Amino acid sequence: MVKTKELVELESNVRPIEKGNLACPGCQLNLVFKHSLAAVNNNAIVVIPACCTSVIQGAGQGFGMNVPIFNVAFAAAPPVASGIARKLKIEGKDTQVIVWAGDGGTSDIGFASLSGAAERDEDIIYIMYNNAGYQNTGNQKSGVTPRGAKTTTTKMGNTSRPKSVARIMLAQGVSYVATANAGYPQDLYDKISKAATEFKGHFRYIEIYSPCPPGWNIDTKDTVEVAKLANETGMWILWEAINGKLELSRPGRRFVDKEKRAPVEEFFKLQGRFSGVSKELLQLATEDIDYEWEWVKKFQ
Amino acid sequence: MRDHMALKTKNIEIWTGNEAVAQAAILSRPQVVAAYPITPSTPIIQTMSDAIESGKLAGEYISVESEHAAMSGCVGASAAGSRAFTATASQGLLYMMEMIYFAGFGRLPMTITLVNRAVYGGWTIWVDHQDMYSMRDAGWIQLAAKNNQEAHDLIPQSYKISEDHQVYLPSAVNIDGFVLSHVAGQVEPLTQRFVDDFLPPFEPLFELTPQDPISFGALTLPDDYLALRQDHQDSMEAAKTKINKVSQEFAELSGRNWGGMTEIYGDEHADIGIIALGTIAEEVEETVDYLGSRGMSIGSTRIRSFRPFPTEEIQDAAKRYDHLIVIDRGFSFGSDSPLVTEVRNAIYKTNLHLPITSLRTGIGGAEVSFRDIAEDVLRIMEDK
Repeated sequence: MVKTKELVELESNVRPIEKGNLACPGCQLNLVFKHSLAAVNNNAIVVIPACCTSVIQGAGQGFGMNVPIFNVAFAAAPPVASGIARKLKIEGKDTQVIVWAGDGGTSDIGFASLSGAAERDEDIIYIMYNNAGYQNTGNQKSGVTPRGAKTTTTKMGNTSRPKSVARIMLAQGVSYVATANAGYPQDLYDKISKAATEFKGHFRYIEIYSPCPPGWNIDTKDTVEVAKLANETGMWILWEAINGKLELSRPGRRFVDKEKRAPVEEFFKLQGRFSGVSKELLQLATEDIDYEWEWVKKFQ
Repeated sequence: MRDHMALKTKNIEIWTGNEAVAQAAILSRPQVVAAYPITPSTPIIQTMSDAIESGKLAGEYISVESEHAAMSGCVGASAAGSRAFTATASQGLLYMMEMIYFAGFGRLPMTITLVNRAVYGGWTIWVDHQDMYSMRDAGWIQLAAKNNQEAHDLIPQSYKISEDHQVYLPSAVNIDGFVLSHVAGQVEPLTQRFVDDFLPPFEPLFELTPQDPISFGALTLPDDYLALRQDHQDSMEAAKTKINKVSQEFAELSGRNWGGMTEIYGDEHADIGIIALGTIAEEVEETVDYLGSRGMSIGSTRIRSFRPFPTEEIQDAAKRYDHLIVIDRGFSFGSDSPLVTEVRNAIYKTNLHLPITSLRTGIGGAEVSFRDIAEDVLRIMEDK
């Protein structure tokens, strides 16, 4: 795993983003963007469908990223990236084509086009940042919003079990699939690095868990804490699958043992989105943790 | 044109409109084709796929999962600096409409063939122009062919118009479903040498590259947004000149003259002038001959470019004819049909006053012969 000091040095040299941007206080999206683009040394064309990063990158003529970005429609990112990747293939360039998309754009409206690009094994790194809802439009429920979470369209708490897009990608035979967490930048960096170097030429899918302070109703100082608790409670499982064979990642490996996990209440209590939600619904949300672990273990 | 064809009978193929389009598209050397099947445009993409698979065309074929993705693939390819192509029809166009607007408003040159087909309201697969009308305000150049040869010839011309730096807009070449797409007729094929000379490689104005990190299509504030749209409008005006110029250049080099923004046929200064587009406009030429030979003073002005609209040419037509009949193959529900509305709008800006009659026909694939049009003309003139 990359050393923290190395990562900090590398990022200050590569400088994927400049100072000053339009992210909400406490948001980690700029950091995960920085870690991800540093891992490819800025040698990338980034395709961004409608999502928080459409705004964060800058407005008017101010632009704070050191990589070219093509902003496109919600469901369009994978095929737009395919068109770009094919052109780079003709020219024999080694530039990475990266889709940088939110969870609504990935799990809901962009799902068919994601699946299509994965099936064609397009030379794309697809990165979904998971902040568990339509946060750019003010916290509406998406296909990955956890059970029990209050959103502006599920005011009593979401009642449906979220879908795991990473697991679906795995089932579709994508050669490199991984999950990451904004609270563990070294693990994230290593995964993007590996996807970029060892699986170039193939479709790669990486999903990053990234808490949203306003949407989840958490104190801006607690974003990293919430991200880490998602790992420690077993709520967000860190894994990597190469050619269908899944391996648990080091920062979260020990939480396969239920006894070692932190109580889920610690995770719930830091977030306003779970407050006032019925005990029954929170119980179902807790059971979803085991449900997901059972699935993940099947791919090991 | 007919004399020229008679003199040069070598290299004549019997091609459907779809084949004529696909062969011209292959000669135009698109680097990326992203496509999804739909009747009646499917044979075009099959031929493109074959050409790329066999190595006849050096390019990439993206077999996408929807029309939305087909247009998205072309959008990505064009933004990365490549020449892109696809074909669709009817529901397919409607499904890709969000990305049609991205390509238009995003200023991404490319050519698509729209094989005109009526839209749902009871399934139908036959021709009318509701699909063409539906993309009127997407900021695209919209050209329409009257026969297979013109469809063939329009493909390299559309790329040349689109890729011009004063224009820099995508183009749709419209051909009538089945009437052209599936009916075989004589086509004198263009040669690779001709097309290579006529159509130089695409020179993009900008390109997505790590060497020049720009954000394309980022959040745009009102002043900038208005400036972009005004520039778009100005480019459409520039396209009018370019369409006339490219048509003329093509005519000189090939010997086939299809007209410019419009094509005039028959008596230029006639009592009756018919305005139409697509295959019905070729049928109108037969009507002009038929009624003309019976002593009627009649002519036609065929619209070749629906967007940009030939405002000046239509104003000129209003001076040349005493009574206009405008044929529409579609609706704008709650108002008059689109073409006749456009014609009235163009003429209102002059001080000319002449009767303009709307003739709506050929809806949902209804066959329209020159005799049908002649009967309509006689009825209209009798009712007058």
